[in-house]
Amino acid sequence: MFHPDIENGFLGNVSIVGMIIAEIILVLFSWFFIFYSVKAFLEARSKEFAILLHLGMEKKQLSKLIFLETLLIGTVSIVAGILFGYAFSRFFFMIVREILMLEELPLYLSWEPFVLTITVYLSAFILISLFSVRFTPEKNLIDLFKGYSEINGTSGYSIRRAIIGLVCIATGYTLALLTSRMTMYSFGVAIIILITIGTYLFFSDTTHFILEKIKSNKHLYWKKYRMLSVAEQSMILKSNSKMFFVVTMVTALAFLCVGLLATLSSYTSQYDKMNPLGLIYKGHTDNPYEYEHITSIMRELEHKGLSYHMASFEVKKQTSSFTQYEVEVFSESDINSLLFSYGYPFVRLDPGEGMFIPYSEESIQKLSNLTVETTLIENDVDITVNKVYPKLIFPSSIISLNSIIISDEDFERLIVPYKAAPNVEPGYHLFTFDIPQWFETTDVGLAISSRVSHEYLKDHYSLPYYFENAGLNYSFILSTYSLFTLVGLLVAAVFLLAAGSFIYFKLYTSLELEKKKFEVLKRMGLTDIELKKIVNAYLVPQFFIPLGVALLHSLFAFVALQNLLKHLANISIVKELILAFVFLVIIEVIYFYLIRWRYITHVRD
Amino acid sequence: MPILKIQDVTKVYEGKVTNRAINQLSFEVMRGEFLAVMGPSGSGKTTLLNLISTIDKPTSGEIIVNDIMPSKLNKHELALFRRRELGFVFQDFNLLPMLTVEENIVLPLTLDGKPVSLMEERIATLAEKLDLQSFLDKKPNEISGGQAQRTAIARALIHEPTLILADEPTGNLDSHNSREVLELLSSINKEKKATIVMVTHDPIAASYCNRVLFIKDGEFFNEIYRDDRRQTFFQRILNVLSLLGGGNVGDLSSIRLP
Repeated sequence: MFHPDIENGFLGNVSIVGMIIAEIILVLFSWFFIFYSVKAFLEARSKEFAILLHLGMEKKQLSKLIFLETLLIGTVSIVAGILFGYAFSRFFFMIVREILMLEELPLYLSWEPFVLTITVYLSAFILISLFSVRFTPEKNLIDLFKGYSEINGTSGYSIRRAIIGLVCIATGYTLALLTSRMTMYSFGVAIIILITIGTYLFFSDTTHFILEKIKSNKHLYWKKYRMLSVAEQSMILKSNSKMFFVVTMVTALAFLCVGLLATLSSYTSQYDKMNPLGLIYKGHTDNPYEYEHITSIMRELEHKGLSYHMASFEVKKQTSSFTQYEVEVFSESDINSLLFSYGYPFVRLDPGEGMFIPYSEESIQKLSNLTVETTLIENDVDITVNKVYPKLIFPSSIISLNSIIISDEDFERLIVPYKAAPNVEPGYHLFTFDIPQWFETTDVGLAISSRVSHEYLKDHYSLPYYFENAGLNYSFILSTYSLFTLVGLLVAAVFLLAAGSFIYFKLYTSLELEKKKFEVLKRMGLTDIELKKIVNAYLVPQFFIPLGVALLHSLFAFVALQNLLKHLANISIVKELILAFVFLVIIEVIYFYLIRWRYITHVRD
Repeated sequence: MPILKIQDVTKVYEGKVTNRAINQLSFEVMRGEFLAVMGPSGSGKTTLLNLISTIDKPTSGEIIVNDIMPSKLNKHELALFRRRELGFVFQDFNLLPMLTVEENIVLPLTLDGKPVSLMEERIATLAEKLDLQSFLDKKPNEISGGQAQRTAIARALIHEPTLILADEPTGNLDSHNSREVLELLSSINKEKKATIVMVTHDPIAASYCNRVLFIKDGEFFNEIYRDDRRQTFFQRILNVLSLLGGGNVGDLSSIRLP
């Protein structure tokens, strides 16, 4: 981030802000994570501290000991982290360069990132070591000796809260399904609040409610090792419902991160299809700059040695008797000239015939079943429109939703201009440049496009022309997207690993108790297969209930997002999402087996 | 008819210092017998119990339980053997904290996949016999030590094992609860003809048995049979113990007079 090239802004401010936000999230989260892990390990060592206190160590000395220990570990890990990080930064830059299609990014050494890392994490370690000692509740020595293994037998669930939890989640999901563009913000906030409350209650009450129901049915409950695992789960949920809540929310966040990235990637991959044209210049019929601009663009293209095929259109606006609204009319020969360069089949129309121009992939389907008999009112030309061109010709932003092609004979009969003529432009000239290597046109017509984008920010678009450079847009999208991907994947990976690690820490602290339990069971006669089954029944819900709930949450979030995107950009994100989710689930499964393996080896001896 | 045969069993712990925990020990336990194994600390009592319960394997010699040789069984069969033939009572009860008293008791049966009706029937009779009804639905951390040990005994009995092994069952109990538990064990021994092997430090506990076996440094030292009066049996146990300690009775941790 401190790299001068990046700072000097070729990526634009958006990406910098994105990076800073990601960095803050990572730092906050790693603080929380360090705090949690330090606490878990201190708890696991309570017996050792008890011996020290028993031998007459003062509380102050113990604090000092823990403080020094934490600081030592912290310093070593910070140094190791920085060394590793620095070693990999070259590699990281290489990847960034590949993805962003940048020029050589020289390896750059500055002191700022080092100072930042050291101060952030050293202060974290100091604060945490101070706090973790100060805030450990005063315990009797005898309790410390016994460890933190005591079980709170309070079963504090209420049916009312259990049901409220379910209702909250269900309402949140329904709202997510109903979200439209209008209600986006209000629903969004409501959904987040509902889901958060619902998830919390789900883990604190609903799960207990379900387990109690299972327990009350002995035929279901007293079956093989099921009794043991159900009782265990209810105990774990009782004492760790907050942790499960956090893990679920964190996992859901990770899913959302990755899902959003997948969405962006599908946007870029479909960009090509939606923008068949390299450059598009659209101007009023009386546009004074037309000649000047077109020749300059052509000159630039020739200068760069890019082959192109230019097609010019004269588009007339008319009023359709069928809808009483305006319709944009293209002539058959104009369209054919563009279709020729695409290599698409030509259009043949007889007088009186018309053809729809599709504005999106889906509209092809919709329009193909439609037959419209209309009269272009201004010139009294009867047209029967009963066909649709089977491919996208123009990007949807250029033409109106109501565009048709008519035969040249009919087009010549359109002499009387659009009836609202002086106030509304009666038509426009369109120049399209079909360029096979369209992504190399990044710096063609820069002057025009900068004026256009400048004008776009104003309330009222008053320029007599409009220019779109697909290559330039694409390079913008691509660089922002790939940066987001990088940052997002990083954040998602940290979240996922952290969610798994929370559970691992919890397992680690209760390991002593677990060992004792398996000791008893082994004496009672537990086969190896049964041991594995019990361990599975113990670990699987802890890992996969939060994962499943998080998956469900993000699924509904993306259904809502897909609904919104359909209105905005007409892209489908299903395939990418499934891919991303499967990937994440596979990572979690691998992580689960890793921890299960460690756990079984611990428990066996 | 002997239900447990120990034949020339030797157990050697290899390590930096080789330790012979049990040396050439042989004895038999008849069906329906209540045997106490006594001996000073480090005499190999717990090792012996671990060997009988097939947690540990003898270095040489043979242990035969109900005509089954556990040394011939594989790991899986051993687990099933323990589950069906043996019942355990421990010094620190070892009840599972997340299960209620009732669930703790039926645990061996659930692991074996027995039908619920059978479990309910057995627990009803046991609860009445051991007086457990008042705290069946409580968790182990909500009941007293005596109640916990009674629960553990119920757990050891529910699958009607051939042999019940008890490791210092009164070690964590006060005198009142101790007496209750011991009377319970001896009544189970008498009424159900259950075979019990109990390892203990406590001469009072031993005085409830039919026979007391003394071991010293892993070898057989002496054995005495019970007569009609518990008082005199107790006195004889004390005599052997003082002999065992070479006149130094203080080797035994606590001797409480009834």
